[in-house]
Amino acid sequence: MREITLSKAVNEAIAEEMRRDPTVFLLGEDVAEAGTPFKVLSGLVEEFGTERVIDTPISEPGFVGLAVGAAMTGTRPIVDLMFGDFIFLVMDQLCNQAAKTHYMSGGKLNVPMVLRTNMGATRRSAAQHSQSLHALVAHIPGLKVAMPSSAYEAKGLMKTAIRDNNPVVIFEDKLMYQDKAPVPEEEYLIPFGVANIKREGTDITLIATSSMVQVAEKAAEILEKEGISAEVIDPRTIVPLDEETLLKSVRKTSRAIVIDEGHQSYGITGEIASRLTEKAFYHLDAPVMRMGAMDVPVPFSPALEDVTVPTPEGVAANARKLCGGELIHAA
Amino acid sequence: MPHEVIMPALGMAQDSGVIVSWLKQPGDAVAEGDALFEVETDKATMEVEAQGSGYLTGVTASAGDAVPVGQVIAMITETAEEDSAPSPANGAEAPPDAEPASGDRTMPEGKTIIMPALGMAQDTGLLVSWQKQPGDAVSADDTLFEVETDKAAMEVPAGFDGYVAALLAEPGEEIPVGGSVAIISAKKPGAPFMQSAKAGGAPAAKAPGKAAEAKAPEAKAEASAKPAKEATPAMARSDGRILASPKARRLALERGLDLRRLAEAGHPQPFHVKDLETLAALPAEAPGTETSTAAGTAPAAASRRLCAEVPEAGFTAFCAWAKDKLGITDAASLLAGFAAAGLRTGDSPLTIAVSAFGSTRHYADPDRPWLGRARAEAPEGTPHLLLRDLRHAPLSFVSLGAEDCPVLTLTRHGETLTITLECGAGQLGAEAALTLLTGFAGRMEQPLRHLL
Amino acid sequence: MSKTNTEDYLRMYTQMVRIRAFEDNANQLYLSAKMPGLTHMYSGQEAVAVGICEALTPEDKITSTHRGHGHCVAKGANFREMFCELLGKEEGYCRGKGGSMHIADQGNGNLGANAIVGGSMGIATGAAMSAKMQKNGRVAVCFFGDGATAQGLWYEVMNMAALWGLPVIYACENNGYSEYTKTEEIAAGSITARAEAFGIESFEVDGQDVLAVNQLTQKLVERCRKGEGPFFMNLKTYRYHGHHVGDINRDYYRAKDEEAEWKTTRDPITNFGKWLESEKIVTTDELVEINEKIRKEAEDAVAYALDAKYPDVSEVDMHVYAA
Repeated sequence: MREITLSKAVNEAIAEEMRRDPTVFLLGEDVAEAGTPFKVLSGLVEEFGTERVIDTPISEPGFVGLAVGAAMTGTRPIVDLMFGDFIFLVMDQLCNQAAKTHYMSGGKLNVPMVLRTNMGATRRSAAQHSQSLHALVAHIPGLKVAMPSSAYEAKGLMKTAIRDNNPVVIFEDKLMYQDKAPVPEEEYLIPFGVANIKREGTDITLIATSSMVQVAEKAAEILEKEGISAEVIDPRTIVPLDEETLLKSVRKTSRAIVIDEGHQSYGITGEIASRLTEKAFYHLDAPVMRMGAMDVPVPFSPALEDVTVPTPEGVAANARKLCGGELIHAA
Repeated sequence: MPHEVIMPALGMAQDSGVIVSWLKQPGDAVAEGDALFEVETDKATMEVEAQGSGYLTGVTASAGDAVPVGQVIAMITETAEEDSAPSPANGAEAPPDAEPASGDRTMPEGKTIIMPALGMAQDTGLLVSWQKQPGDAVSADDTLFEVETDKAAMEVPAGFDGYVAALLAEPGEEIPVGGSVAIISAKKPGAPFMQSAKAGGAPAAKAPGKAAEAKAPEAKAEASAKPAKEATPAMARSDGRILASPKARRLALERGLDLRRLAEAGHPQPFHVKDLETLAALPAEAPGTETSTAAGTAPAAASRRLCAEVPEAGFTAFCAWAKDKLGITDAASLLAGFAAAGLRTGDSPLTIAVSAFGSTRHYADPDRPWLGRARAEAPEGTPHLLLRDLRHAPLSFVSLGAEDCPVLTLTRHGETLTITLECGAGQLGAEAALTLLTGFAGRMEQPLRHLL
Repeated sequence: MSKTNTEDYLRMYTQMVRIRAFEDNANQLYLSAKMPGLTHMYSGQEAVAVGICEALTPEDKITSTHRGHGHCVAKGANFREMFCELLGKEEGYCRGKGGSMHIADQGNGNLGANAIVGGSMGIATGAAMSAKMQKNGRVAVCFFGDGATAQGLWYEVMNMAALWGLPVIYACENNGYSEYTKTEEIAAGSITARAEAFGIESFEVDGQDVLAVNQLTQKLVERCRKGEGPFFMNLKTYRYHGHHVGDINRDYYRAKDEEAEWKTTRDPITNFGKWLESEKIVTTDELVEINEKIRKEAEDAVAYALDAKYPDVSEVDMHVYAA
């Protein structure tokens, strides 16, 4: 199978959907000729023109608001938010307007829009261009949240998001844009709420999102050499969450680590860990462990930044403790 | 058509409004837009306008009344003569809790004045003197009393206009901050009075002190237990609890394995699923070396079982009384005291164990010094009697057989307590067993009588 | 006077009276604690909603505000579903999930009342954007108050609407008060000049004169359909009640004399009624008949809504996500 970059996969997904459905259009800062700073959207304006690939002023609340209104009236906008950190600027439009419109109208109005943005540290971009803020929107009922872990997921999830009748926020890891993965030529979609078992195992379940899936897979390789069999699961969408697949795995392995690049406190890792503890308690042979980003603003210095995110070695070390029956946080 | 005058919903979260004053009198002509009455809500005092023109009639609420929002309080009629009360069908319901609760001394209605927090770290204030006497008229800016705090003596203004309806503390008394010291009423009070804070004026006084006292034994127990745990984290715990994963516990239960045997064998904790193999491989228990639980299977002929039923209300009320008046929050100590009193025949020390909610506490001579100052400080070991408090469990009947010591089990069915005494024939004679159960049941039914 | 005009005038009069009747009943429902939540009265501003909405088709979109009952009625909503919504009943336009601050008859092009001040400015502009993309000739009207002109979102969306020539009309219902504060205390310079700074053609109009509002809107809607938008209208109007029901002692920010002045000399309904009579379009009796009929209609709808059933609790997690 051919291998393409995550960037190319996103580009293909959008192009295919824009060809299929004339109501789909793109909107955001420097999405047309510039094709975004990461060049993800290069070439689209040439095919679809400036009427459907629209450069906006630097007015995040403004153009997200426009997308909400356009989505309510017969079109399917894809809004490009240049950095995930800018999501703080658009919270009212996203969380008070887009997320609640269907509910507040008693189901009469829909907001079929996609907000595509990014996440991920270690690009030496410091505290305002490095955050992974997906937990913020996952907290708000009415929004769906997808987190592709490779080019394959990026394409399949984007196509599903564009066809979904709800506001969907997609977080792409900006460090993965140039990572290649096998992506079929023929069309496919990845349904929301269906986790992907990336690697089967029997001793411990590593649940990981976005780029942390790679971290978990590398940890699984380290552990394999030591005789520990790790299962790696990628939920792919955190809203909706495929709880059943996660529970099934944990009932089998009796142990789990949840790995995510958002801050560890009050985040995705805590949410998933707590669901596992509630619903698979009598199957647990060790505490469910969380591994998120450190609770610090992302530092600039490489020496500091690199220690803030989970690493394969760190995951393997924790997995060893859990599988070895070590007493964890006992008092 | 007459207009109903209703208590309007004006605030954001308002259930009732207090009528401050009527600006029109029954029979007065009113025009739409005229201010009818003043109402005080959670926000402020507001004037309410007439919604129609006519004559004010059928006024059913007076100044000072708290009226639920939506209730009709008067009518505006076309003639002054139509002075009839609004029909109750219009949603007018008796205001809930409008009547002050009757008590020894009914507190007048009005604004409660509290001991203000003035210092940085101040718990109480010393009331130096009252500047107003009961019945005096006061305005908001008048000095009401002088208070001495950790910093200095200060004069405290009344804060409200009205009359001093009650002074709830006497000069020289220490009042906790937030405690009530006075009540200022809007109307001239009929029987203004002054009383000491000890008479119940400043309820906030007891709370902190009591809580601290009640917590002390627990804190002590925790402090002594801690070092042992930390020193040997992987070893058996001194409190007998076994550290095991949820899955290991579930599988042990399903396979009929007793994790305690693993602990007794010195196997390091916490236990995980893999440790169950070790447990399963332990040699079977030899016959004749029965563990304590096996003693329960002693022949029925050698054991006694007696039951008594009493209403639960007596003990519940007693607990509340003990908590309120004596600061006793440990109900188990009261139970232990009653059991010891029933069991006692001489002066030798008695240890009563009370087990509730999965933990067991030992009380030494809990019946003396009466009342209930017993602390759970007695040494572990076989007590003279075990009291199993299962009032909160969904059990109504127990028959467990004799154990190491006589066992009293409390269960509840509706509002009735069942007290079951089980013991070995050798542990208590028939007469002693009857005396114990009768005495205990009698105390549970009428605790105060037995106290006196 | 042509027959068509007569019908239009009578409908405008009727719609204004319907709004006033709706609000009078809503006010009483709230004060008598029969209505949950909080609510903001539109009374006094009727000529704005009616003058504008009468120039729109049901397919044209509006976005409304927390003071939105008037827009909802003017855009063609029924009393029954509206009162049901105010009372949280199943038959409400939003199945009781929106209430007073989110009430909207979606089927008539109302994209919702918004409880965030200025929150719908992006939505209205986006609706205009999608109309332009779909070339369906629809126009969007964004209703907002003078208080909302202080929100940054407005300047962002005006910029884009002007850049892209979107068919949107920004209608500022300037009632002079930003919640509990005189607007002159919170607005520097000229509000109209702010729109003009983006190159948006702007108009000042008497918001108490339903004909003036309607004639201007008709002209601007027509021009929007031809691709000449966006436009800005500053409509001077007056809110008879406080910011919300319950805000009754408001002397600290607004004098009673001022309120009385507007109510007696500038009431949009009274003045339009007088004009209709003077032009011999209707007689006094006919106006009384209209008023009575609407009063009855409103009272019947209130009675109906009070008896209507609440949504089943199983609906609580319905409509979080669309299928």
